[in-house]
Amino acid sequence: MDISLVRIDDRLVHGQILEAWLPFIKASCIVVADDDVASDFFRKSVIKMVVPSDIEVIVNSIEEFSTNYSYDEKEGKKTIVLFHDICNAIKAYSLGFKFEKLNIGHVQSEEDRKYCSPAVHLCKKDIEKLQFLVDSGVEVELRCVPRDKPLNFRDMRKKIMLP
Amino acid sequence: MVGVLIITHGNLGCELIQAAELIKGRMNGVLAISVDPTKGVEELKKEITSSIKKVNMGKGVLILTDLFGGTPSNLSLSFLKEGKLEVVSGVNLPMLLKLPDVREKNLTEFAYFIKDYGRRNISLASEILNKKVSTK
Repeated sequence: MDISLVRIDDRLVHGQILEAWLPFIKASCIVVADDDVASDFFRKSVIKMVVPSDIEVIVNSIEEFSTNYSYDEKEGKKTIVLFHDICNAIKAYSLGFKFEKLNIGHVQSEEDRKYCSPAVHLCKKDIEKLQFLVDSGVEVELRCVPRDKPLNFRDMRKKIMLP
Repeated sequence: MVGVLIITHGNLGCELIQAAELIKGRMNGVLAISVDPTKGVEELKKEITSSIKKVNMGKGVLILTDLFGGTPSNLSLSFLKEGKLEVVSGVNLPMLLKLPDVREKNLTEFAYFIKDYGRRNISLASEILNKKVSTK
């Protein structure tokens, strides 16, 4: 598969994915790599039901996904890979899914989290986790929909007042 | 009377209710919930749960959402319960205007009716004109 977008989105498959990213990338496959969804028949069915039938949907646990697919292969279907949160993306990366770019789409505010954009609230720990990926050579950007101006990792740090 | 909840991206639901009330007068037992990027999924689920309670008068609840596959619709689907709660997507103004006229139907009939009614009320003007001319 040709990995065209790796995204962190706590809503997983939703309007922005189906109406904005899918046509922008012209992707024909969506992967949801998530342990909770993979073991939840209902949520899995809902995701498969809402995606147009000409788009392939793969719902896997993070481990299953990270160890079962060949990522070196640049051919094949253009694919969007979705993770629920930063930890899940890092887990996949550590298990062998070496993505080059990471898009941060939706991360919602809980305690200690600071405003980055309307859809993204991060805490210091999140930034540290992302730093690990940046240090490993991953290009991190914050961008909700394709038409938005992307924010790079340094801008994100500034937004939450880290030097 | 079936309770109605309109869950949409942004304030679309509130605006639809306002527009409908402008045309048809006050609507009872209809509430709107706005889904925007600043609200978390759990927060929204709580808001939906409490709104379902508010509009439910014992005859079930119909949730109208804007876009199948969008967050408002995905969240609503997790409340789906045949005979008690139904979800129709693609909400439009004609649907809202029809609500008060048919709310004494049972939930399943009501949901089917509103879905079909919303569909029937999308028209292409020139198509209608051409049909009228050609049948004359």
